Amino acid sequence: MQHLAALLPRVTLKQALIVGGATAPPLVGGAGVLAILLYLMAAGGTATPAPEQPIAFDHSVHAGDAAIPCEFCHRGVGTQAAATVPSVEQCMFCHSVVKTDSPQIQLLQAHWDTKTPVNWARVHRVPDHVRFVHAPHIQAGVACETCHGDVASMEEVKQVRSLAMGDCQGCHRENSASLDCATCHK
Amino acid sequence: MSSSANEAAARASAVSEMGRTIPTDAEVPHSEGVRWGMVVDLDRCTGCQACVVACQAENNIALNEEQRVLERRAKTWIRIERYWEGEFPNAKARFIPVLCQHCGNAPCETVCPVWATYHNREGLNVQVYNRCIGTRFCANGCPYSVRYFNFWNPEWPEPMNNQLNPDVTVRTKGIIEKCTFCVQRINRAHVTAGTEGREIRPGEVQPACAQSCPTSALVFADLNNSESYPAQLAEAEADRSYTLLEHFGTDPGVIYLKKVDPHAEIHEDEHAHA
Repeated sequence: MQHLAALLPRVTLKQALIVGGATAPPLVGGAGVLAILLYLMAAGGTATPAPEQPIAFDHSVHAGDAAIPCEFCHRGVGTQAAATVPSVEQCMFCHSVVKTDSPQIQLLQAHWDTKTPVNWARVHRVPDHVRFVHAPHIQAGVACETCHGDVASMEEVKQVRSLAMGDCQGCHRENSASLDCATCHK
Repeated sequence: MSSSANEAAARASAVSEMGRTIPTDAEVPHSEGVRWGMVVDLDRCTGCQACVVACQAENNIALNEEQRVLERRAKTWIRIERYWEGEFPNAKARFIPVLCQHCGNAPCETVCPVWATYHNREGLNVQVYNRCIGTRFCANGCPYSVRYFNFWNPEWPEPMNNQLNPDVTVRTKGIIEKCTFCVQRINRAHVTAGTEGREIRPGEVQPACAQSCPTSALVFADLNNSESYPAQLAEAEADRSYTLLEHFGTDPGVIYLKKVDPHAEIHEDEHAHA
């Protein structure tokens, strides 16, 4: 399902409704077109499928069951541009003792032993001409879930919002944040 | 209400809607709020070109190879114009660093058909690369010739491609680029000040050119903040201050200081050799 969604063009809910609404009545197979669009939406919509990670890190265990706050691991989030991915050392603060018999933790242990970083696959990436800084958003009291979705229930993290310019602008407009081009575009 | 009145009302509301996203000149009085600007003391400038190099490195400006210079397609967001005064052996070299003047009343902004260049609330003349379609009207309209067109996609030989500034976009072929007053540094200062819950301090933001100037000929600050050194300097040295091509009424954000030499011999036939 996810592989299929990756091959097909991405559509937003709005686009699907407009296209579906315009094509459905005149066409005999209109219902079919609508069904295909709805299928695409169900298959992922704007969201990209979760990338495969080198270690099957489960956010639902850490952020969900253990209720570890996001910023405990993503320490840069309140002060800098990048939320930062924790270093292997930071994982080992706990995992030198916690669940050491798990095969996934042994993968981590191998990275620790060889002093090599884990090559995590990036999930969220804004285009090169956009400069997104986490800090002011956290300062303004925007919850992580607003953009990242309910990560605490995700086994594999995937992007849930389009994070396209209109998506950012809508939120900026609602919250009277800056709409100056130079704020985000570099 | 007639249909034409309806149309006029619709247009008025559309214009006011636009005005909310893009401030008009009337909305941003230059005497209020922040106005980023620079004071250039020409009596201090030695023409060393450190600012040019610093700018090139900070802003990912493509390398100006000999061929590009000969074609007059070299890009330098700040350039040192050199003028000779007098005849050898009594010749004097005069230097003027010329960068985007961030005009309060900019000729480039009004001619852009796609609003790729506009004036922001902090007095910056902003170039939006994504909007730019490369008509080059702005470059033709700019009396200071500080807007540069990308005739090629920039390329950096190994290992120079590894020293690109991640805070600055690499501009592609077909768009205009120009000095931004290092807007990435201004934005960073905004974030730092914001997280610390304070205003940006005078002197906290330094564009690459001002930072690298060995004689402090270039100083940068909010010109509306009377506590900033450049604002005080411009005030104290008002008798030797001027702006480039003042008579065009562009209201530049760059103020030049230059003592007029009473002994200078001025000849009618003297031409500037840049």
